[in-house]
Amino acid sequence: MKKKKYLLALIPLFGIVLMLSGCGSATEKDSKTTLSISSSDVIASMDSSINTDVIGGQGLTNTMDGLYRFDGKKLKPAVANSMVEPTNDGKTYTYKLRHTKWSNGKPVTAGDFVYAWRRTVDPKTASQYAYIFSGVKNADDISAGKKPVNSLGVKALDKYTLQVQLSDPIPYFNQLMANATFFPQYKPAVEKAGKQYGLNSAGMVFNGPFKLVNWHVSDNSWTQVKNNKFWDAKSVKLKKVQYYVYKDPNTGLNLYDSNRINRLEKIGGDTARQVSGYKTFSKDKFASTFYIEMNRKKDPFFNNENIRRAISLSFNRTQLNKNVLGNTAGFTSTLIPSGMSYNPKTGVDFTKDPAIKPLASYSDYNQKLATKLWKKGLKETGQKNLSFTLLGDDTDTAKKQNEYIQGQMEKNLPGLKLTLNNVPFKSRLTKSTDGDFDMVVTAWNADYPDPYSFLQLFETGNAQNNGKYSNKKFDEYVKKSATVDANNKDARWNDLVQATKILTEDQGVVMLYQYYQANLTRPNVKNYRVSPNGMYNLVTAYKN
Amino acid sequence: MAKYILKRILYLFLTLFIIASVTFFLMKLLPGTPFTNQNRLSPGQLKIVKAQYGLDQPVFIQYLRYMGGLFQGNLGTSYQFNNEPVTQLIGQRLAPSMQIGAQAMILGTVLGILLGAVAAIRKNTWVDTLATFISILGLSIPSFVLAVLLQFYLAFKWHIYPVALWDNFQSSVLPTLALAALPLGNVARFMRTEMVDVMSSDYIELAKSKGNSNWQVVTKHALRNSLIPVVTIIGPMAVSVMTGSMVVENIFSIPGIGEQFVKSITTNDYPTIMGLTIFYSFLLILVILIVDILYGFIDPRIRLGNGGKE
Repeated sequence: MKKKKYLLALIPLFGIVLMLSGCGSATEKDSKTTLSISSSDVIASMDSSINTDVIGGQGLTNTMDGLYRFDGKKLKPAVANSMVEPTNDGKTYTYKLRHTKWSNGKPVTAGDFVYAWRRTVDPKTASQYAYIFSGVKNADDISAGKKPVNSLGVKALDKYTLQVQLSDPIPYFNQLMANATFFPQYKPAVEKAGKQYGLNSAGMVFNGPFKLVNWHVSDNSWTQVKNNKFWDAKSVKLKKVQYYVYKDPNTGLNLYDSNRINRLEKIGGDTARQVSGYKTFSKDKFASTFYIEMNRKKDPFFNNENIRRAISLSFNRTQLNKNVLGNTAGFTSTLIPSGMSYNPKTGVDFTKDPAIKPLASYSDYNQKLATKLWKKGLKETGQKNLSFTLLGDDTDTAKKQNEYIQGQMEKNLPGLKLTLNNVPFKSRLTKSTDGDFDMVVTAWNADYPDPYSFLQLFETGNAQNNGKYSNKKFDEYVKKSATVDANNKDARWNDLVQATKILTEDQGVVMLYQYYQANLTRPNVKNYRVSPNGMYNLVTAYKN
Repeated sequence: MAKYILKRILYLFLTLFIIASVTFFLMKLLPGTPFTNQNRLSPGQLKIVKAQYGLDQPVFIQYLRYMGGLFQGNLGTSYQFNNEPVTQLIGQRLAPSMQIGAQAMILGTVLGILLGAVAAIRKNTWVDTLATFISILGLSIPSFVLAVLLQFYLAFKWHIYPVALWDNFQSSVLPTLALAALPLGNVARFMRTEMVDVMSSDYIELAKSKGNSNWQVVTKHALRNSLIPVVTIIGPMAVSVMTGSMVVENIFSIPGIGEQFVKSITTNDYPTIMGLTIFYSFLLILVILIVDILYGFIDPRIRLGNGGKE
């Protein structure tokens, strides 16, 4: 009986010992041909007609190939065999395709592009990215259900010739072709999977540098292996790319420090501050800017230029970046981010244009001037005190950021009472669209690396112009860039610069910062570069 | 007993129906739409997309459609993961949560029962003090704090376990330990209190006077009777451990169901919100039913029969 007693008492101890001893070492081995990368979230869809987010976009960029592909800043031919200049006043693009193959050995044809594009604009697909085809002949009417899908301005002249007809010239059309939404699709695979297409790697075929294997949607990790059928497979040095989702910043850092992952991406706030001293710490510029919109319709005092300027000058962006954002942002005085678009003649970054550079004074912290302009603005609008609400996201960083702005504004703008309203992302969007806000902190990521992607938002009457900013001259420049000057690169550049100047001088929006993605990358990871469209090109990435 | 169980199952479905209906209408009060690209869609495009998902219909029609599907066992498809059946999403995410939850419950409960029993038997000795200290520690240390400590020492510093990620059994050990602390503390406390009571009962004295050894008294009489209140708390605790381990899952990067639930709410993924609410409710009601049935097995005196009457 005594024996039994001791045996029973030993059960829990045995359990613990078993758990502790049965495991061995958890030290990670690193392979030269496998690159492991963190991901902030799971892939929501691998269907290029459906995907809307960056993670799915990266998955598609790694596994599919479009007409063009960014290599660093440079746009290079991919399935198209050369860079194409448009004809017919910029309205016709004729692409000659390389003889490339899908991962199942079948040829990638012009018909695969036609099929994919038609499928995306088809209202039945309910693509939330169909709007990006706007400008391709009949795309808007097809999306609205007014015209048949086969009337889309895209056709296969022969197996390897694709022709696109635009209703108006799109000067950034070639850049768009590197976007996953314009990738081809292999019709038999799509039709076989039906509504389940893009939810499972089984049955999918790929024409890009890697193939996704053993993946099911919402998986927390996924593997991509080299696609030997990729037309440029000889340039691909990595054999495997492994993604792991991490949610907790400390876990991410532990995974990186223990070399379980070679690259930790999207480090924010406190963690970024903590690791900013690492030699392997780096920041990638993204074509994304954060800014404050003011609701002129609801609060007419925002029509006063002095009030808008005072708001912009009342807080210190450098301090905000250092103390709140962990140095993960970049200063920008204009809506247009840096590192995205370059002067067609000189190659100079848009934000370094001689006409843009002096605009920095509109966003430089200037306590005295802010107070002075504010008082003047109050007098001009007949107000003694102003109280309004700043709408924003409810993430930790967003809350801290808005608290900082609130503190600075209330300190430097006498008579101002600013209340914060931090809500979930979707609520913020709805409130913004409904005009249910005084001021809102918002962000825009470029759909394509061109200033027009940002500037068109603030045209009078644009659906995204939530603050109802309106300036005739600004509208004229933006419109001119897309119409009369669309085929004249220099004139178009000037239009975009002038429009930006007006928007900044007007303080149509109060700029906050440009989003920089902070990362830790092992020193042996080479050529891991971000493109102007926010994607990484893994064709050239390698480890040594 | 069979009639009682049948009746309880009927109530289970009725409760689920009410929960589903209430949740459906409450969910519709959430601001925003489920569309990720909402701010880029023109009003016309938004209308088309809404029509595709049936969201252009009046709420009551949407309700009838959903309930119609539900009666056929169809929980709909996720908006967030385009067209992924919610049942599949739950199934895929449930396994890791259930595994670490079940492991934590088994470990925590077994250790808790033993700790509580030992504390009661060695009442007012250093053993009791130590056991009480451990159980209070288990109750008071938040699981996420324990998770971070375990990760730092056992994984990062000493390399005994993986830091995070869900690869094999090894990956489940640290989250299990982090989650086991609470049931351990809870069960130990309940067990000790109940067993101290039972040990001073007349029938224990009688058993002792009959010449039974201490071991026999404890295992045959005291332990069994002390288990009833423990069983009562185990049910709901099991559900909460299995489904509410989101923070621990995040710390160890485990693809669990908890995170999915929160995400479905923030993304207005209506079918997933509904599916998970119904699933959680089902789990809780089922566990309560099982606990009720278990009472009968532990103590035959409260076994039910005759249409639910004692």
